[in-house]
Amino acid sequence: MNSFVVAVPFLLVSVTPVLAHAMLDHASPRVGSTVAPAPREVVLWFTQKLEPAFSSIEVRNEQGVAVNAGKATVVGDRTQLRIPVRALPAGTYKVIWRVLSVDTHRTQGDFTFRVGP
Amino acid sequence: MFSRHLRVALCGAAATLTSVGPTLSHEIVGNRFFPATLTIDDPGVNDELAFPTVAISKTGDDPSFKQLDVSAEFAKRITDDFAIAVGPTWSRLYAPGGPTMNGASGFQNLATLFKYRLFKNAEHEFVMSAGLEIEWGRTGAQGVGAEPFNVYTPTLFFGKGFGDLPASMNWARPFAITGQVGYSIPSSSKTVTFDPDTGEADTEFNPRVLVWGGSLQYSMPYLKSAVVDLGLPDFFNHLIPIVEASLQTPVSNTFSSGTVTTGTINPGILWVGRYFQVGVEALIPVNRQSGTSVGVIAQLHLYLDDIFPNSIGRPLFGNSVANGRPMFGNRQ
Repeated sequence: MNSFVVAVPFLLVSVTPVLAHAMLDHASPRVGSTVAPAPREVVLWFTQKLEPAFSSIEVRNEQGVAVNAGKATVVGDRTQLRIPVRALPAGTYKVIWRVLSVDTHRTQGDFTFRVGP
Repeated sequence: MFSRHLRVALCGAAATLTSVGPTLSHEIVGNRFFPATLTIDDPGVNDELAFPTVAISKTGDDPSFKQLDVSAEFAKRITDDFAIAVGPTWSRLYAPGGPTMNGASGFQNLATLFKYRLFKNAEHEFVMSAGLEIEWGRTGAQGVGAEPFNVYTPTLFFGKGFGDLPASMNWARPFAITGQVGYSIPSSSKTVTFDPDTGEADTEFNPRVLVWGGSLQYSMPYLKSAVVDLGLPDFFNHLIPIVEASLQTPVSNTFSSGTVTTGTINPGILWVGRYFQVGVEALIPVNRQSGTSVGVIAQLHLYLDDIFPNSIGRPLFGNSVANGRPMFGNRQ
């Protein structure tokens, strides 16, 4: 028990300056939203800096066909991941992301948005 | 008198210990983050420290008495799939608890859990693990019910998220369930105690017990990042309302214990951040033998894999790239 008593204050003090997983904070288009007109790019904001070489986005239409118009790039302070997309007709699109944070934690996820009135 | 109350205390403390005993490990499976649960174990392995866990309840003994448990648990991954956890628990039994009915306090037996992740499927947010918990006899205080023998509990754990439901059931996709089924085997089939006044021997048969439970949870982080971002205040995007059930059923060698299932149903809420989570739950006894009033349990749980990703927060051997926890807001 004594070791825990010693360890916990140290851990709590240590919380602030260290790194953690890169988690999706928010996105444009917003998760689960309906947008019009169609976006020309998809941008994801993460809670941690990313390793560009191991971070990607894919956007697929309802048939599962990729509608990316290029490769994903890490921009800003390395917490944003952005990818251009083709002209999107009305429909539902799935965004699939996989990233590696600078502290070597992998995260992944997906969500959909809809283009339409 | 002594033996009756000692037996009562032993039964009550054992029941309480089982209900609020070691819990550990959050887990990430694809989109899904399974948080550390408070009264049962969750299905994965990770590096973490739960401290403190504080529980207050009134036992199901006759007469009933108030019990306070303060516990800690440290879990360390040896490989990416295998972890060892140790957890001491300090208990205080208020009068009329304890051998002399004047109350008692001390440590419960030390518990160690060896746990291995058997299977993980990201697409279906499913994970299964197997573990062996050993409660080491004679490492705790007999006055608070620590047994003089080891107890071995092999257990299966599972977790399933419902993120793979069709879009027409989007409202249900943030739900997840977890569960565990274990079989508790004491190393000694009976315990003989002697009444200090009369010298009479009293034999207590130590039952084999089915230890089982589960949780139903609704993840607001999952809702925001994988289903629909409602633009809620960030505090709400970290919440996971949860109901846990923690139950025990004696199944053999039940001459002393009977076969009545005891345990608690525990509704509560977790707040999950990037480095830690906090949780509080009510402990609602399922019957008179499980307790005489509603208790409460609260926990601070630290994610060592996030706090120290390059040192004690990573496995001792194996994978240098860790699977992360997905998708939470960043304001805390």
